[in-house]
Amino acid sequence: MSSRSPVAAASVAAPYAQRRRPVGRRLRRALAPYGLLLPASAVIAAVLAYPLYYLVRLSFQHYGLFQLVRHKGVAIGTANYAQIFHDSLFWHTLVRTVAVTAVCVVLTVVLATLIALLLVELSSWVRLLLTAGLIFVWATPVVVAISIWSWMIDFEFGVANWTLTKLGVGNFNHHDWFANPWSGWGVIISLIVWGAIPFVAITLFAGLTQVSSELLEAAAIDGASRWRAFRDITLPLLKPIYVIVISLSIIWDFQVFNQIWLITNGTPSPDYYMMAVYSYVTSFKISEYGLGSAIAVVMVAIMGLISVFYVRQMVKLGDVE
Amino acid sequence: MKARIFAAVALAAALSVVVSTASGGNKSAGKASASSITVWLMSDAQAGWPAAVANATNQFQSQHPGVDVNVQYQSWDSVLQKFDASIAAGDTPDVIELGNSQTAKYMAAGAFQAIQPKNYPNSSTWLAGLKQSCTYGGKTYCVPYYAGARAVIYRKDLYRSVGFRSPPKTYAKFLAVNSKLMKKYGKNSNFSAFYEPGQNWYVAMSFVADYGGQIATNKGGKWKGTLNSPQGIQALTAFKSMVLKFSRASKTNDEAHPFPSIPFAKSRAASFIGNGWEWPYVFNPKGGAAPASFAKKMGAYPMPSHIKGRFLPTFLGGSDVGIPSQSHNKSLAADWIKAYTGTASETLIAKAGNVPNTTKLLGVNAKIPALAPFAKAANYSWFVPIAANWVNVENANILKTMCTNILTNRKSVAKATADASASITKILNAKS
Repeated sequence: MSSRSPVAAASVAAPYAQRRRPVGRRLRRALAPYGLLLPASAVIAAVLAYPLYYLVRLSFQHYGLFQLVRHKGVAIGTANYAQIFHDSLFWHTLVRTVAVTAVCVVLTVVLATLIALLLVELSSWVRLLLTAGLIFVWATPVVVAISIWSWMIDFEFGVANWTLTKLGVGNFNHHDWFANPWSGWGVIISLIVWGAIPFVAITLFAGLTQVSSELLEAAAIDGASRWRAFRDITLPLLKPIYVIVISLSIIWDFQVFNQIWLITNGTPSPDYYMMAVYSYVTSFKISEYGLGSAIAVVMVAIMGLISVFYVRQMVKLGDVE
Repeated sequence: MKARIFAAVALAAALSVVVSTASGGNKSAGKASASSITVWLMSDAQAGWPAAVANATNQFQSQHPGVDVNVQYQSWDSVLQKFDASIAAGDTPDVIELGNSQTAKYMAAGAFQAIQPKNYPNSSTWLAGLKQSCTYGGKTYCVPYYAGARAVIYRKDLYRSVGFRSPPKTYAKFLAVNSKLMKKYGKNSNFSAFYEPGQNWYVAMSFVADYGGQIATNKGGKWKGTLNSPQGIQALTAFKSMVLKFSRASKTNDEAHPFPSIPFAKSRAASFIGNGWEWPYVFNPKGGAAPASFAKKMGAYPMPSHIKGRFLPTFLGGSDVGIPSQSHNKSLAADWIKAYTGTASETLIAKAGNVPNTTKLLGVNAKIPALAPFAKAANYSWFVPIAANWVNVENANILKTMCTNILTNRKSVAKATADASASITKILNAKS
């Protein structure tokens, strides 16, 4: 992208064009923004719109391995949707997905806020150290991070069980974190939240540095507690940032796949299904691509609703400014 | 300035067209020249018998100088998804190895090119079990590669220390030696007398077969999951009690996470059920890295059945190699398969601890004392239901989940088997 704005460029170019072809100039001027949008639109259409169209089309077809080999599905109307809406596994998975997303987002935002507030208070070199730690977590590729976690909590040779036993927390030798889905989900949620905190914490910290210290001092002089000052001054000022990070966190956590898939060695039992895993298993493990697409379409629809809320909030915030 | 912007837009648009045509062009050019073929083998070959692969490629290249053989090793967890993706993209490998319980679905869908067995080496003496897994609708779609029977690999020295100079010949003796081992060494909470990863469903199903049960039955074209039959419940109850007493392996992982050879090599296990190739794998850096002297302490025996004089039926697992119907180099692929499944390579495969694809070479294993028990174990065997959709039962982890539910007491044996049977009935009867 050129750093010069198109408007500026056009006004510089104007005197030459005016002398030669006034009509063409106006036409070109009207079309220029669309011309500039064209490459980006083409890319979005190719990588987003077409796959989405294809996904929706697949969801109305019977498309198994037989059809895959021939590259041609059989249209069956809404039968795939009828099947998933009558499947108790689908509803369990949907409820679980919403619950896990809610827990992850709340934990991420609360912990990240605490870390951001801590960062403001710290001396500069400790702040540097903590920020570096956060950046390292953020910079770790997710697949690598999951491998490290799965080694740490390994049943046979894991360091987590060894450490907990040595610390006298209890006998964690041969403790199987996934034998009980509650503890299994505890591990998975920790892993997701751990990976999500750095972005949110650093973003919130950036926001906090913009909160005028005079306001907080004035509040303190008037006898407001730290909590009161945070609630009535910091939080309203940071609202735009919270809207962004919460919306993005919901979108990210709703579609979690890697953490579950890799930490269960690609063999999650239905207790560990989220929507993305359920859709993947149906499509790629059982070769019911049409059915899997229908699940994915439902997921996209739910995400679409969340995005509408997000975009509306963004537009509102834009209006205020 | 403005002209420059338009030029940039036009250039970008033109470039995108050029890029798309260029990539399209590359692809077709690569296919036409056929200077290489792509072979997908499971990583077992890489770990266990790389010499057989090298031998086949050498033989192939002396026949076709200048043609590269690109062998890509796959893992069992993900090979089918990758294969499906390559089918969707119209860019399949030229040769692919599949497990003998995976082939039916792909043959039924037309993913394999039919072959003429008489054009392949030793086809008149192919193992019957493997040949059956390559046959669909009267046609042959793949070439038998190797089979494997499972036996108990054990520590002779530990057995001797509790008074067993020879391996147990009855199930009662099997239970006795393991009880003694647990009493003597079980205070170390890492120790298992018999290391059985909870999701190693092949062993659980061996018990089912031993008690006369079946995974599913077919009546008039309709499949029905039958693990919740009285025999199935009895078998899995016996399995559960045995595993909970003697094994401290994870109940939520399978026999590849970790490979049992690792705790075995580290003296955390006195025995485990494994394939022939898992014996040498104990010494592999990835499989436990035991020192060479460890071999003197190792032995193997066929697992005894609860019925006197018999062995616990072993899963007759194996692999086949075939040519995907979308391959662009079918005749080259056929030549590589001929080299790989010919006598020279199969001899190397057999020496690595496998049952070779031809009865002509069965003597190779019988002469190696370490491998003889595996050959003996194969006298009693079972196989998965011959249904086009069977592999979907494996892929959906129905049996692994059932084993975990039983061994962690999350569900009773009756409830877990009933749930699994319902899923199996549903999957096997789904139209493809």
